[in-house]
Amino acid sequence: MFVQLLDSIGQFGAGIGAGIAVIGVGMGIGRLAATSVESMARQPEASADIRGSMILTAALIEGVALFGEVVCLLIAVS
Amino acid sequence: MTHFLSPVSFLRHAASQCLGVALVLCTTWGGGALATEPQNANHPAPGASTENLVHEMEAGEKFDVSETLMHHVIENHDWHIMDLPGTNGYTEIAVHLPWMLYHSEKGFQFFMLSEGSEHANEEKALQHGYALSHGKLHPVRADVQVLEAGGIPSEEFAAHLELDEAGNWVPKKGDHHVVRTHSGVLYAVDTEASVLDFSISKTPLHMMIVALLMLLVFTSVARAYKKRGVKSAPKGLQSLVEPVIMFVEENIAAPNMHGKHKRFMPYLLTLFFFIWISNMLGLMPLSSNIAGNISVTAALAALTLLVTWFSSNKAYWQHIFWFPGVPTGVKFIMMPVEIVGMFTKPFSLTIRLFANIAGGHFMVLALVSLIFILGDSGKSAAGAYGIMPLSVAFTLFILTLEVLVAALQAYVFTMLTAVFIGQAMESHDHHHEHATEDTATVAHA
Repeated sequence: MFVQLLDSIGQFGAGIGAGIAVIGVGMGIGRLAATSVESMARQPEASADIRGSMILTAALIEGVALFGEVVCLLIAVS
Repeated sequence: MTHFLSPVSFLRHAASQCLGVALVLCTTWGGGALATEPQNANHPAPGASTENLVHEMEAGEKFDVSETLMHHVIENHDWHIMDLPGTNGYTEIAVHLPWMLYHSEKGFQFFMLSEGSEHANEEKALQHGYALSHGKLHPVRADVQVLEAGGIPSEEFAAHLELDEAGNWVPKKGDHHVVRTHSGVLYAVDTEASVLDFSISKTPLHMMIVALLMLLVFTSVARAYKKRGVKSAPKGLQSLVEPVIMFVEENIAAPNMHGKHKRFMPYLLTLFFFIWISNMLGLMPLSSNIAGNISVTAALAALTLLVTWFSSNKAYWQHIFWFPGVPTGVKFIMMPVEIVGMFTKPFSLTIRLFANIAGGHFMVLALVSLIFILGDSGKSAAGAYGIMPLSVAFTLFILTLEVLVAALQAYVFTMLTAVFIGQAMESHDHHHEHATEDTATVAHA
């Protein structure tokens, strides 16, 4: 039975890897959103600047998650 | 009820409302049409199903999710628009694109595989010395027989074949010595010949369409500026394009390039608009997404790297090879680190744009495939209709997010390009200038 499992252990790993990548990014962007919203509340005049850098840094952090996703996808399809 | 200043603005508002409702209706209808397709696929006239070019299921075949997803994402040599259901199977509406190959022995080859059926396409490809398998051409030795009389593999190829569930001989997974065409014939791949593929396939065709669109828009805007001058108020297409250009110049180029940004504006604007327009076009039906092909994003990142190198000054190279301000031993460690760092930046640009765009399309494809999976490949209408509202709703949500991602990824790519070029142009004195500035502020406080 272990021999039959061996074929799909790669797929198993790819799925877990994709999930772990998403955990890290979720925590990171969640922290980003929390602190940026708090700073917008403290200084509403800087709202526009903060919103701009919030969106930009969210895209950059998401890029990192997508590196992991691409690796997992490569494992899953080959 | 909002207050409108004029009948024109009311009409514009009403038009946009109608457009929004029409979009929702179209997506829902489209989702419903997709869900009813499996039932059609099981009703072609008997004896006709093997000869049509349906890329979806033939009668009785199970829906293969990963194959469908891969088929939509990888490079294709036809622009497949739609299959119209007819009395005798499907009629395919597609734009067939030419194959342009350079074979190491036979030289340049130029042909189109646009026959009516897959079988005829395979015959035509064989005439040129290639086997057509899953949309790819492999150079084959047509005179060599893989299966001898009686269906037993010959000595040469026995190691490359295995039996599948239906009892047919198929090439082993990942093996490149034998290839099996759609009609089930095995061919021996010519492993010595090297073939370069220069064809205009789907992605280059769509890149040219985007380039043509950009050319038309921007030359007309430039002509308008020439005619009207820069001091008068913009009209028409100018008013659409000018704020975006000013945004790129003021927010992306100028803060990152310290005064020398005018030289790079053409490159940055081209990058920004090309990525944005191609992402937006990729979201529309019938079109293909360009940045979802990693070769395209790698080419854009390579261009950024080249522009960075050509605009770099001595201080940049000194920082890479002989980092100033650290002890000599550390300099030797820093050198490989910095060299690798020079290449990871365009690599991350590539992967970021590719994964964002391809991932969005993948998610939409997967959600729509849910309809087919839960409809049990056409056997369960209740399953298909049941999942359809949920699937279409999620697809709408993902597509809305993709519209945001289209613009955002263009912005991020262009901004990082501007940052890298700015870093390459930074003079050595700038570093020290910053240092004295900070200490001065501290002293004052």
